[in-house]
Amino acid sequence: MSTASASLRRPGRLSPRRLLDAMQSLGLLAVLVVVFIGVSIAEPRFFSSDSIKAILINSSMLAVCGFGMTLAIALRGIDLSVGSVQALAAVVAAKLSSTGTPLALAIAAALLAGVIAGALNGVVISQLRVPAFVATLGMMSIARGVALIYSNGGSFLVSDSSFTDISRDSIAGVPLPFVITLLALLAAWTLFNHTPFGRHIAAAGGNEDAAVASGIRLAPLVIIVFAIVGLTAAMAGVLLTAQVAYIDGTVGVGFELNVIAVVVLGGTSLAGGRGNLLGTLLAAILIASITGALNILGVATLYQYLAVGLLLILALALQSLRDRLAGRSSADGGE
Amino acid sequence: MSDRVRSALTTVIARYTIEVVLVTLVIVLLLTSSDFGSSQNLDGVLRQSAFVGIGAAGMTLLIISGAFDLSVAPMLALCGILAGHLVGDVGLILAIIAALIFGGLLGTLNGVIVTRLRVPAFVATLGMQYVYLAVALAWTNGAVVVITNTSFLALGAGDALGIPTPFLFMIGTYAVCWYLLWRTRYGRQVRALGSNERASRVAGIPINRVKVATFALVGVCVGLAGVLLAALVSSADSTVATGYELNVIAAVVVGGTSLNGGRGTLVGSFTGAIFFTLVSNALDLYGIGSYWQYVATGLVLITALGVEGLRRRFWLQPA
Repeated sequence: MSTASASLRRPGRLSPRRLLDAMQSLGLLAVLVVVFIGVSIAEPRFFSSDSIKAILINSSMLAVCGFGMTLAIALRGIDLSVGSVQALAAVVAAKLSSTGTPLALAIAAALLAGVIAGALNGVVISQLRVPAFVATLGMMSIARGVALIYSNGGSFLVSDSSFTDISRDSIAGVPLPFVITLLALLAAWTLFNHTPFGRHIAAAGGNEDAAVASGIRLAPLVIIVFAIVGLTAAMAGVLLTAQVAYIDGTVGVGFELNVIAVVVLGGTSLAGGRGNLLGTLLAAILIASITGALNILGVATLYQYLAVGLLLILALALQSLRDRLAGRSSADGGE
Repeated sequence: MSDRVRSALTTVIARYTIEVVLVTLVIVLLLTSSDFGSSQNLDGVLRQSAFVGIGAAGMTLLIISGAFDLSVAPMLALCGILAGHLVGDVGLILAIIAALIFGGLLGTLNGVIVTRLRVPAFVATLGMQYVYLAVALAWTNGAVVVITNTSFLALGAGDALGIPTPFLFMIGTYAVCWYLLWRTRYGRQVRALGSNERASRVAGIPINRVKVATFALVGVCVGLAGVLLAALVSSADSTVATGYELNVIAAVVVGGTSLNGGRGTLVGSFTGAIFFTLVSNALDLYGIGSYWQYVATGLVLITALGVEGLRRRFWLQPA
């Protein structure tokens, strides 16, 4: 009964939609706090600044790429190519840097490679009308091939210390990769929530026909959003290069599914129309914390997979229960 | 007259795009490569196609029903591991049956999570991919299960009636799935469900049961693929099939089955699975490096669906 009137009222700040997003973020925060307290009691070293810094650094790649993915999913798309694009960008950055190219130029080239790959995804989706799932599945294969061809199957050691310092420096005690993550969040959040472009993403993702009928031009929207996803995947590639310094064409395999898992865990619905960027960040930190906690407790890697898998299913089961209790039709949350 | 021929030709190409492309590719390869036609090469192509092909049979029905399954790679590994462990003790037949039942149970579990917990199939099976991988790693301790039973290995590497055994199993799987899809009430319900879930519910179709059964069917197919793959490489381990889910979905989609559900073609998936193997075989024969095969595979996938999109836009109105 109340839902009809609730959906008619659209007060600017506290629409039901935003309330749900906030609830999701609070839920993630609660789980995060529980993990931290529980693990810290079992192993006090977990609550050291070194350990927390490591968690923040490890969450950065997932979060940054997650922001791009959140926009794509809000547009009712998906990008399966981010792992390969990450590898492509990492190989470009590492190869250029190891052959003496200045840092800024190497990073710019890597980011450009990501933007081009992403924009191509957008063109294939909007102009050739290939479903995003298939178009980016194709790009996943193509970008991986290009990364391997460009590296000639070899690997590169980044010796430029100013490059590797990106993952070691801090600003006011906050690791630089996480500062970059926060800046990326600010940019994505502003774009998504406070510009006409962002509103168009949500509108087209919620109801494409209505969006087109109301004069939104779909093609540029799709191309720019996927170019942004490519950019964030490339940023993740640069962060990876800075962190491990030793790069070949096979890095980043499976990254796409981790990123999608983080976005979904963060409360962004695959049905499109809305995106929870803060949730994406919190989910990335949560996953990195669980990985860090299991590492410090000396638990085998396989339990990380188990934890991520069960968390994902549990979170979505709770979401769908919540939606049903809220009286919304379950049909709109389908595949 | 020539108009009728042209319109007939257009219809055939529109309806059997992937089949026409496959036949064209085969003819080109026969004309340009002396090695392609050798029985050894053809044997290899058909044998390789079977693993993705068998998984794609079940996946076609699942995609027609409006869902899909991202957890098939570790599921395949688990079934291979089970068969590898059992075959020494219980013999060939029981080991295979156990692997198929196990696959069916894993698929059922996916279906139950989707229907009972109401988790969208994409996320549910993404989560189960991690869970199954963890189970496989725990089970094998990360080690490789070596298989030495010779009659088991013959399933993967042997021939029967002059045809590679895995390919015979692939034909059998498609025959069964085709019968299920087009000749049974269950198949009708799958197609109805994929076209319009709400209408199917209103029409009294037991939606949850159909969904669970279809996930279970995928599990059984994947179990069979797992047994055959373990037999071919004479071992089983947790990560043997990494990326399998996307190869299977690619074969189904290139074959002409719509990711939106409701319509699809098993013959297309069958052809699609062979087609991808054939593309990499062609590149091998022409001596094109393996890195370019990634690029070619991706381009094939995008072109196959892109042409369809362009055709709909500019050439033919959708039927």
